Amino acid sequence: MAERRARRWLALCAGAAAAVLLGVHFVGVGFGPFPLEWNIGLRQPIDGFQSWVIGNRSTHPIFILVFGPFSAFVDWGLRAAEDILLWLPWPVSVWLFAVLAWHAANWRITLLTVGGLFFMGLMGLWEQSMQTLALMLVAVSLSLLVSVPLGILAARHAHLQQVLRPILDLMQTMPAFVYLIPVLLFFGVARVPSVVATMIYAIPPGIRLTELGLRQVSPTVVEAARAFGATRRQLLWHVQLPLALPAIMAGVNQTIMMALSIVIIAALIGAGGLGREVLVALQRLQVGRALEAGLAVVMLAIIMDRISGALADQPTDLRAADANSEPSAERPLWQRARIMVPLVAGLLLVACLLAGVQNFPAAVRVPLYQPVDAAVAWMRDNLYRIGDSGWGSGPLSDFITIRMLDPLRALFAHGLAWPVQVALAVCAGAALSGFPLALQAGLGLFAIGLLGMWELAMDTVSQVVVAVVISILMAVPLGIWAARNSLVDALLRPILDTLQTIPSFVFLVPVIMLFNVGRVPGVIASVLYALPPGIRLTTLGLRQVNDEVREAARAFGSSSWQQLTKVELPLALPSILLGINQVIMMVLAMVVISGLVAAPGWGWKR
Amino acid sequence: MSSKGERGAAAGGEPKVVVRNLWKVFGPHAQRVLAAIKSGHAQESVAVEFGHVIAVRDATFSVQPGEIFVIMGLSGSGKSTLVRCISRLIEPTGGYIAVDGAEVTAMDAAQLMQLRRHTMSMVFQHFGLFPHRTVLQNAAYGLEVQGMPLAQREARAREMLELVGLAGWAGSRPQHLSGGMQQRVGLARALAVDPAVLLCDEPFSALDPLIRRDMQDELLRLQQMMHKTILFITHDFLEALKLGDRIAIMKDGRLVQVGTPEEIVSHPAGDYVREFTRDAPRAKVITARSLAQPRAGVDAPAVPASTRLEELLQRMAAGQTQLSVCEDDGTLLGVVDQAAVLRALAGAAPR
Ligand SMILES: Nc1ncnc2c1ncn2[C@@H]1O[C@H](COP(=O)(O)OP(=O)(O)OP(=O)(O)O)[C@@H](O)[C@H]1O
Ligand SMILES: [Mg+2]
Repeated sequence: MAERRARRWLALCAGAAAAVLLGVHFVGVGFGPFPLEWNIGLRQPIDGFQSWVIGNRSTHPIFILVFGPFSAFVDWGLRAAEDILLWLPWPVSVWLFAVLAWHAANWRITLLTVGGLFFMGLMGLWEQSMQTLALMLVAVSLSLLVSVPLGILAARHAHLQQVLRPILDLMQTMPAFVYLIPVLLFFGVARVPSVVATMIYAIPPGIRLTELGLRQVSPTVVEAARAFGATRRQLLWHVQLPLALPAIMAGVNQTIMMALSIVIIAALIGAGGLGREVLVALQRLQVGRALEAGLAVVMLAIIMDRISGALADQPTDLRAADANSEPSAERPLWQRARIMVPLVAGLLLVACLLAGVQNFPAAVRVPLYQPVDAAVAWMRDNLYRIGDSGWGSGPLSDFITIRMLDPLRALFAHGLAWPVQVALAVCAGAALSGFPLALQAGLGLFAIGLLGMWELAMDTVSQVVVAVVISILMAVPLGIWAARNSLVDALLRPILDTLQTIPSFVFLVPVIMLFNVGRVPGVIASVLYALPPGIRLTTLGLRQVNDEVREAARAFGSSSWQQLTKVELPLALPSILLGINQVIMMVLAMVVISGLVAAPGWGWKR
Repeated sequence: MSSKGERGAAAGGEPKVVVRNLWKVFGPHAQRVLAAIKSGHAQESVAVEFGHVIAVRDATFSVQPGEIFVIMGLSGSGKSTLVRCISRLIEPTGGYIAVDGAEVTAMDAAQLMQLRRHTMSMVFQHFGLFPHRTVLQNAAYGLEVQGMPLAQREARAREMLELVGLAGWAGSRPQHLSGGMQQRVGLARALAVDPAVLLCDEPFSALDPLIRRDMQDELLRLQQMMHKTILFITHDFLEALKLGDRIAIMKDGRLVQVGTPEEIVSHPAGDYVREFTRDAPRAKVITARSLAQPRAGVDAPAVPASTRLEELLQRMAAGQTQLSVCEDDGTLLGVVDQAAVLRALAGAAPR
């Protein structure tokens, strides 16, 4: 498998080189960029549809009977959740969260949870955090309400699964921007569209993991149940669901994470809370404030991830155990906890209400944004151009623009014949993931041409290519270094963790400060976003090389370099290629986002 | 070991399980392929080419009440498929199966469920225990799906655990037990529903040799108490000899020979079977009955027909040249001489 993949990549590279030569040749013959006359002008019908929706929203039955009630229901749920969370005095919320963390995991995660909640309060973001939490709770519960039953059905009916799979693929790979507009049109009530957009994003992992969990239940165990005469329902409830529970909980965890990752995007279409805070701060270029809100999102993400992850990790073992086989001596304690938790919560609640405590006290505010803003200002003033040395982020930005982005854009937009580029896209798709993606890539590129967006797309492509090349050139050596030097590894790890969990918007901001608005910040932000998986998978691949093989190489007297190039790298190749694959995917995902903030290209023109 | 011969003779009367002309073809057009093969139209290789596997071919046998019927064959010979067809965990493609005179192949889903809940139980090669349930809850599972109330079924399950020597383990998780103990749980679970027929698909194959021997002895001990009808699958010929009242040998989906261990060891049908018998402990399997050559008027000390070859050998070593073989009721069957004993030991067919 891995070898086939590697060969596919080699073939791709060779093919790409040949195609570029051919493409340049064709342009010489007069076979240029995508013909402008072929623009089919999709704009008009879409605009027409939009005005139809707006005109009929209050009269057409589909809105009155389907979208309307749904919107009303979601809106009601959202309001209720928000009202409750905002009404609860903050000490009560902290207590309830702490108990939940304690019950699901351990004291460390409990501490983290409490710390995270205090952070939100101290940043003056308590209210926004609770709003985001309410959005999460509603969106996640609705998502699970859809995804778990669908997952069960899909596991039982192969047909349904076949129908679902491409839809799920589409839901997950489609950039959120594509459906934000239609969602906004159909569910145009206040914050409902953001819930729907979040659901579109968060439902697929729930379905997938539920189905996977059910399918992974050992066939022997299923057969045993059947052999004893279990009905289908008994089989599901006695055997399949309990055994799939960890996977289903992992699905819940993924659902939550997916939902959180779309928080900021959801803010674009009206969700309030932290996402809105980040967005507004970004638009005003208030880096400190954006960072505060961004970190609050990260905190929320970490808390919810750790708690739901701990639930998923609990071995099935313990879960069912306590009812039956735990020594009875422990029971009173558990029962006491059952009374204690609501008791303390109730007392706290009454005390707080009497004392008039509800929202986190605004007076207690740690101005994290001040030093951050100062640091950013300093960087802008001092790093953009360092003295007269000709170095600094400004010249670097110019170099990337003039030497890399511009020539590539020119090559893609005018230097290559369009059929060759479509062919290249097909090859790249095939190498990345196989036939379906190849088809999508080819058709997609063709469609872009038909929509008259060829040049804009080529601008994006040039950014992607540059970002990918820079990422790979950095990720692979860093990964190798980390694999061979545990100190480097220990230093890199927290950095990579942070890069991967911080919402991508957040590190766009300092980058813009350093590099000015333009295409370069987009490229650099994409690189930052894409580096972690590249580095991680390279390190992982090298680490996984069998110790015995490594020892054998040393026994034959290979130098450290020989050992690396002749034994370790070839063996780690599949993993490294997967890393490169991930890098490309991440860059593609980031380009749209960064376009929103900085780079001209697709982001602007959605 | 010693008790087996007596049970083997329990044959006679209505068979408990009847299998006639059973076929199983895996693949998209199983029925059509079967029809074509039966009528002699289709080349088998063609069917196989189109993704069909003929796992069981025309199997016919019956199992007597209280008998341990061993199905033995190499990997892929269709043993598991055959035994699963009997409870229709795998749907047979063609043929007739009856248990206690009731035609299993004609049952609807509800009847089938009753059959599985009350009449048949199964023990699996890899145990098939439910990892999310305690040992006790595992043992009680069959009763649970029957709908028996909790207290009652747990009491019964405890009894069974005691029977297989796991009384102290009721609250444990199966995965914390050793392989042998896990299979005891599997056995307890199967026995808890007091089934008339017990299907065992290589229950001891995943165990190491010493434990396996323990479990074999355990099964024989339990069988002496319970007199179940057992279909037992193994790919280990020695295990088949030790446990089986009768043995069916399977090859490529076909039953190539069905007989008592002695019949199979002393008259293997073809090279395939002979290959298995090569390492068989003949001295323990072959009895005087199959060695006796009719000869009248010989005056030699009498031995019962069930005397094993190893004992005959001792008598010969002690100086006897001839022994006369008698049934329990005293009828003379014939005579064994030294030459016959040696030939049998060497594996040559008796004349
Ligand atoms: N569901 C299935 N679909 C297609 N072919 C199958 C299926 N199950 C079994 N077979 C095939 O049927 C044949 C008999 O399989 P079976 O599992 O009955 O053999 P076995 O004698 O039990 O072997 P083992 O000792 O390995 O358990 C094999 O060739 C196997 O590949
Ligand atoms: Mg088998």
